[in-house]
Amino acid sequence: MKNKDIQDLLDLASELRWEIGENFHDTLVEGIYTDAAQIAQKTEIKIGEPNPYSFERKLDQVLTSKKYGFPVMILILSIILWLTIQGANYPSSLLASFFLEFLYPMLKTGASQIGLPWWLDGFLIDGVYLALGWVISVMLPPMAIFFPMFTLLEDFGYLPRVAFNLDSLFKKSGAHGKQALTMSMGWGCNAAGVVATRIIDSPRERLIAIITNNFSLCNGRWPTQILIATIFIGALVPDNFSSILASLAVIGIALLGIGFTFLSSWMLSKTLLKGEVSTFALELPPFRPPNLWTTLYTSLIDRTLIVLWRAIVFAAPAGAIIWLISNIYVDDLSLANITIDWMDGFGLFFGLNGVILLAYVVAIPANEIVIPTILMLTVAHLNLMGAGNGVMFELESTTETAALLHAGGWTLLTGINLMLFSLLHNPCSTTIYTIYQETKSWKWTVFASIMPVILGFLVIFLVTQMWQLFQ
Amino acid sequence: MTELEACDSCALNNSAQLLKLGINVENADYVIALAGNPNTGKSTVFNSLTGLKQHTGNWPGKTVTRAEGGYRFKDHKMKLIDLPGTYSLLSTSQDEEITRNFILFGKPDVTIIVVDAARIERNLNLVLQILEITDRAVLCLNLMDEALRHHIDIDERTLGKELGIPVVKCSAIKKQGISELISTVHQVATRQIICKPHRIKGLSKSVKKMVEKLDKIIRKNYPGLPNSRWIAMRLLDADADIIKALKNGDFINN
Amino acid sequence: MILLLNLEKLFTPLLNQAYISLFFTALLILFFILKKYQYSLRSLLPFKYVEKSITEDLLKQLYHITSSQKTTDFRMLSGALKIPERKILKVVESMTQNGLIHISEGHVTLTKTGKNYALSIIRIHRLWEKYLSEKTGFDKSLWHDLAEAKEHQLSKEETEALYEELGRPRFDPHGDPIPTALGEMISETGTSIVGIPKGTVTKIIHIEDEPKSIYRQIIKEKLHIGAHVKILNADNHHIIFESEGHSIQLSTVVASNIQVVLLNSQETYEEGNVRLSSLIEGEHATILGISSECRGANRRRLLDLGFIKGTFLNLEYMGPNQNPRAYRLRNTLIALRNDQADFILIKKTQYDRTGSL
Ligand SMILES: Nc1nc2c(ncn2[C@@H]2O[C@H](COP(=O)(O)OP(=O)(O)OP(=O)(O)O)[C@@H](O)[C@H]2O)c(=O)[nH]1
Ligand SMILES: [Mg+2]
Repeated sequence: MKNKDIQDLLDLASELRWEIGENFHDTLVEGIYTDAAQIAQKTEIKIGEPNPYSFERKLDQVLTSKKYGFPVMILILSIILWLTIQGANYPSSLLASFFLEFLYPMLKTGASQIGLPWWLDGFLIDGVYLALGWVISVMLPPMAIFFPMFTLLEDFGYLPRVAFNLDSLFKKSGAHGKQALTMSMGWGCNAAGVVATRIIDSPRERLIAIITNNFSLCNGRWPTQILIATIFIGALVPDNFSSILASLAVIGIALLGIGFTFLSSWMLSKTLLKGEVSTFALELPPFRPPNLWTTLYTSLIDRTLIVLWRAIVFAAPAGAIIWLISNIYVDDLSLANITIDWMDGFGLFFGLNGVILLAYVVAIPANEIVIPTILMLTVAHLNLMGAGNGVMFELESTTETAALLHAGGWTLLTGINLMLFSLLHNPCSTTIYTIYQETKSWKWTVFASIMPVILGFLVIFLVTQMWQLFQ
Repeated sequence: MTELEACDSCALNNSAQLLKLGINVENADYVIALAGNPNTGKSTVFNSLTGLKQHTGNWPGKTVTRAEGGYRFKDHKMKLIDLPGTYSLLSTSQDEEITRNFILFGKPDVTIIVVDAARIERNLNLVLQILEITDRAVLCLNLMDEALRHHIDIDERTLGKELGIPVVKCSAIKKQGISELISTVHQVATRQIICKPHRIKGLSKSVKKMVEKLDKIIRKNYPGLPNSRWIAMRLLDADADIIKALKNGDFINN
Repeated sequence: MILLLNLEKLFTPLLNQAYISLFFTALLILFFILKKYQYSLRSLLPFKYVEKSITEDLLKQLYHITSSQKTTDFRMLSGALKIPERKILKVVESMTQNGLIHISEGHVTLTKTGKNYALSIIRIHRLWEKYLSEKTGFDKSLWHDLAEAKEHQLSKEETEALYEELGRPRFDPHGDPIPTALGEMISETGTSIVGIPKGTVTKIIHIEDEPKSIYRQIIKEKLHIGAHVKILNADNHHIIFESEGHSIQLSTVVASNIQVVLLNSQETYEEGNVRLSSLIEGEHATILGISSECRGANRRRLLDLGFIKGTFLNLEYMGPNQNPRAYRLRNTLIALRNDQADFILIKKTQYDRTGSL
């Protein structure tokens, strides 16, 4: 078709459009629905009495009611977290003792038997292997419990109800109700949450959803929260109540994350991303009985193992780096010690410490390895096992981890601040890359990466100041 | 639709001839698209055909990027594309762009339209739009188990006749009807079944006249274009994508 | 290491609590102030950056004054544009040189070139308002100001591309005609709603968006272009009419900014229509249509979801804050916010077995 013909065609089209008036679109859709109604009437067969969906309706009314809507949401979240914390404890220590107590000495002996040089042995076994062992024993059990439960909820159809309940709050903060869905996806993985924001069709609100997704604790951060809460907060009360208090603390952090989502959405929509909230139209699907076995299988294979694999891929080099910096000496101090001492002043000022800050620098590629890195660095720093061995340690239970951290100068304040900082810091490298992919803007990528860190430092600074005020 | 009836008895054979190819989709003989309203089970159908593990979930908008997978059936290699769900092809909203563009410009050999059997009227909105664009499609009447639980059944013969395309009842999550779906898709792809898709009739007289006027010009310029009427309607609606495509000549090789 | 330690000592007093809180607060306040007054701050900029926009604003002002058969002088212009007379004179000088305006006996008039220039600016302004109404979620009280800024920024090519993208519109969202690229403009045909006899049914075709205070009063009543209006009562000071199920009273001064026409032969006035947002739990209704206030992407989204004329629906339940609410139509539950439900006009009906429930 020649250019001129095309132009003529377009001219004719806009002439005719003008004749129909502005409502051609309505006419067209109405026309299609007329056909659809006719066809549906001819083909739909009602068997006996139409099902009144009475059970579904009742359930829906409860789940979204003024009285029960929010309490049920928090209750469900609490139950999931409590089951995760409670259930992960035992398998975690089992795995840890397998990897660290049973396999580790065997590898060491094997290495010395085949005459591996000390540095290669240290690099591979004390560095890479120990990091892997840690990641697997710390991360696998909670994920294997958390993901299937979350997927069951998702398949049942509960997530859209959460979005429905939270929409009024999102509306107040100038954001889109579907952000609740992307937020929930973010509880699995922030990168996935960022991609999921595509369901929000207004660019402004989508950007808000992308930037604030980092405030959803992702699976890489749940284990950190759970471990630290168990060690520092659970320990405040007698054993019987410790897992309940620890779950409550983690829930508190998760809810705080939601709070920060609202707060920063509100601030963004009042400043940088100004503009009226557009629309919210969400189909609420029927409740569907989830298929238990398929869910268990796919969430184990798909999510847990894939996430674990990613953690392993990132943990191995991190372990290597930690071993290296703990074993390279300048004068009498290892590189790790120098950096930690140097960062300590800054860290303590904010109520953290040098170990944590260095761990977050090493862990930029993936949040999952923060805890193992912290532990390894603490060991290296304290030099518990003497020079040269670097990162060797045995920890088969949280009690021993606790002892180690206390020895490293940790207090309840450090624990609380670590939990806060783990919620409020830069997204992991994958998420940063995904943000760039989705926004195609360096400006917003940088903003989304830096804003949470600044916020994080601000919050822990305030907490530390308050803490010291009341001491 | 006699081919369909003949096929009922051979349903058992089909699964034996199905080979799931996972993500191995090179040199496919046919490209098959999965389209439909959100949350109708497209990804579930996709998974049961390719053996892959696309994420599924009971809320609209779970799939937001397109996914590819493959399967082999009777010596033919099929490439299957799972698309994000969409309510309509008429909007210009971003979240529906991938699907809209693929159905219009990706030119799949067969489009499997997955619909929710319990909400057929609402789903037909998209079905009728897709049928304006392509003349090779199969209707997958999914979630049959749920529809029956809610006391709704569908007369699939009449539906097939009305729409002019084969209709297959499925419960994808229980793998029911999948083998019949596979063989029907194969028959449409290899032109053993020729579809005569429904065309939208409910327009008012004056609008119909205008659509025809534009349609005539388009057909004169691109003889044999199966969806000239759709393009005419989109031009009337000032669809920027279609205007751009027209200027770039994207419709010529259809 | 010694160096680093010293640095730390140096910074410690700076990192004092009070300093930090003060710094952040100041930063935040500054940010909000700048954001709030970003348009008014224009006059602080060096002259050469603002000459173009002042020229264009002057041309527009002159165009409107000329088309309402009035004359003007510099003092009035300076007042209308809120720019000191000194700057106006400077601009006027170069405008006269460029042949845009003509001055005789202190009165300023537009030349042919000047008029065309003015129309091209009005074209951008109205197209941009159309764009904002169709493609973005900005509230309509913001459209005018945003378009005021945009009209000085778009090039000719960008304007034409925008025109194509919007489907070659002829009217802006306030019902004002958009000048063509050649500077032609359809003349308006409506009459003011003041003076229409009671009982008459009319359709709003134009709402004047200036002065702002009056415009705000009108949109507060959710009146909009395309709305059907039935005059219920009118005297010298007030006019009372019914629109979309609501009875509205306006003072004559405000109402005179609304222009209407009689309904054409295809349009009918539906008695007893109300907004979907007024439906309560357990009630059923049939959709009469979507208000023409709702347009662009929002309208299409609602249509796609099945909110079509003749559709039978009911309110199934409300969220914890009564907003959003879930409606069941064609056997599907769809949640809408109340401000969207405001756009959907319905007629309440009895439960209907043959309906799509
Ligand atoms: N009972 C029943 N449930 C099904 C069937 N097919 C799919 N489902 C469930 O329906 C939900 C939606 O399935 P998906 O495959 O994710 O739907 P989709 O069409 O890909 O959805 P989008 O990607 O959001 O467009 C999931 O929870 C499935 O488990 C079926 O035949 N019967
Ligand atoms: Mg899908």
